[in-house]
Amino acid sequence: MIKNCLMVVLIVMLTIMSVAGLSAQDDMEIYALGVALPFTGSFGTFGQDFERGIDLAVAQMNAELEAAGSSIRFETASADTEQTPEGAARALQTIVQTTGAQVVVGPLTTAEVLGAKQFADENGVVIVAMASSGPAASIPGDNIFRVIYPPDTFSSKAFATIALERGHENIVVLHVDDAFGNGMNEQFIANYQARGGGEVASFAYAPQSMELSAEAAAVSATLAGFGDNAGFFCVCFPGAAEAFVQVAQIDPILTSVQWMGNEAMTTDEMLEDPGHAQTLANASFVTVGQSAESTPLTPIFINDFVAMFDKEPGIFTNYAFDAANIAMLTMLAAGNDGAAVKSMLPFISNHYIGTAVQAFLDENGDQAIASYGIYQVREDGSGFEEIGAYDGNTDTITYK
Amino acid sequence: MPPALLTTSLVNTIQIGSLYALMALGITLTFSVMKLPNFAHAEYVTAGAYAALIVSLSGSLNPIVILAAAFIVGALTALVSQLAVFKPLEGRQVSFYTLILSSFAIGLIIRYILFTMADYFNLFDLRIQIPLQIVYRQGSLILSNLFALVVPTSILLVIALTLLLNRTALGREMRALANNANLARVIGIPVERVKNVTWLLVGGLAGVAGALWGMQTAVNPLMGWVAIISVFAAAILGGLSSFSGTILGAYVVAFSENTIMLFLNFNFGVDLAYKPAIPFIIIIAVLLIRPQGFTQLIKRGGDLQR
Repeated sequence: MIKNCLMVVLIVMLTIMSVAGLSAQDDMEIYALGVALPFTGSFGTFGQDFERGIDLAVAQMNAELEAAGSSIRFETASADTEQTPEGAARALQTIVQTTGAQVVVGPLTTAEVLGAKQFADENGVVIVAMASSGPAASIPGDNIFRVIYPPDTFSSKAFATIALERGHENIVVLHVDDAFGNGMNEQFIANYQARGGGEVASFAYAPQSMELSAEAAAVSATLAGFGDNAGFFCVCFPGAAEAFVQVAQIDPILTSVQWMGNEAMTTDEMLEDPGHAQTLANASFVTVGQSAESTPLTPIFINDFVAMFDKEPGIFTNYAFDAANIAMLTMLAAGNDGAAVKSMLPFISNHYIGTAVQAFLDENGDQAIASYGIYQVREDGSGFEEIGAYDGNTDTITYK
Repeated sequence: MPPALLTTSLVNTIQIGSLYALMALGITLTFSVMKLPNFAHAEYVTAGAYAALIVSLSGSLNPIVILAAAFIVGALTALVSQLAVFKPLEGRQVSFYTLILSSFAIGLIIRYILFTMADYFNLFDLRIQIPLQIVYRQGSLILSNLFALVVPTSILLVIALTLLLNRTALGREMRALANNANLARVIGIPVERVKNVTWLLVGGLAGVAGALWGMQTAVNPLMGWVAIISVFAAAILGGLSSFSGTILGAYVVAFSENTIMLFLNFNFGVDLAYKPAIPFIIIIAVLLIRPQGFTQLIKRGGDLQR
């Protein structure tokens, strides 16, 4: 008898608890925040670290919403873009069809962003990309917002100006054959020649290539034909960049000219190899990257990230954190509706100062504030030092 | 095409062709003895490269130690895939296509284990720390210490493998297995033991090739997979049954990717970004025009099925 009574009490208690839980759950309004990033492939490390930055932003936002008594909570839904345009389209489709997400943070590269664009535009899904910079994705009126990193129309001007100031009469470009590399190459040639530069010879390599002996030989032979005042501009992804420097370091022509390169060549891994570090130092390697100035939020972000994940955030991870915050703030203001978010996002962005720089969008939905640092490898190859700054909005370089 | 460029491209052809040969021999051996075009071969290459990278990062720059570590890890990876997957599947007498699919699956599993490890220890796009130096220079002919390591190592391993196949009891058993597994079993050849040794050899060779490839490029979990199409093209050129044909195929693929590609670029403006298409073109052309590859052209020297 006692046993039966206890059983009844237990069932009643469980029922009450589950009903209470359900009603609490019913009161909650869950907004799905899509995350489409390359978790595999050579950019897999970036993707995984960016996801941690987004998770941190969501955790902080949910904590604030709970403290404020709001019934809204954010939940992330992630999918791997596999670092390809097709993969990005599949990832977006998966996220939207399984969770109904109206806003997706990511993808990473311009090629991936363009791959996901058609699905996003057709289904009213808003893409908030944090690091894509290829000019090919600068399209007015679409559903793509690139809120942190400015398009390469700015950095290509900086590289063109630096090349001319270094006295390069002709340039050889090696670039990855995708939307980012092709866009940078085209913009660089246009800016360099418009400012009085000479001939530019370009060589493209396939995005997945890891063995670049033929490319290095072609660049070297062309530089030899260009004469003494030629320069080299490398627009390469990590992995390929290391592979290129590896074969270039014993080439007599490539080791006797000055190099410029995109920001992806400034990884720690590149300078960990003494031969690579010395090659870049001898080539007076210069890169242009978004200014690394801190805001008051930067150290807080780093501390919070370390506290949550027990590791330092990787390069550009704060961009993902900022992009997620812009997306969530817009959803809080506009609701969980793609069209409303698309309409509201420029206003929110333009009033957002995060861990890196202020976001301010142009008519294409791209970051319009272009403040770059100019970084050169130290003579001993021990690291990069900031030697100047480029203001994209006034198109001026100031050296330290 | 400038003469200096021609010279450089030919040096690259020899160096890269030697690496392709090392990788492709394992594929030929697997196909001949086990009747399996093993797509997980790419991951044995990557596993060997990671073993070499870890040894080099932990302080040893002795090439023999680095290559030995790569051989052991590549060999064990291949043996585990045989014992854990291929052998049980063969026991169930699954179809040829099931075995191919399972080789894809094994490759994916190994690849993502390597991804997880590389992410945890931050081992992406690192190079095996053998410093690159010029050891010979005459005009535009420049040979590096890597060339001096890669080419002789590849040649020695190919000779050793050929001697093993043609001059030892184990080699005879392997060839018997390649010709007719049932007959080999009937005449008392310890088929399972021979298969296990073959897998060890295949994985070991792939591991060494991965270590050398990682000195040439950079090590990441996709490096073997990216290279495998060129390697398969070399093996298919060799008819998948001939060592000498496979070696010749490897140099033909490397020559096409380097010298011919540069010739097309400088003379006809063909973009170097089309380089990855070359092995596919070779594979399709061989399968359409000459499915037996070089097998009938080269009758002597390491043919497995005679």
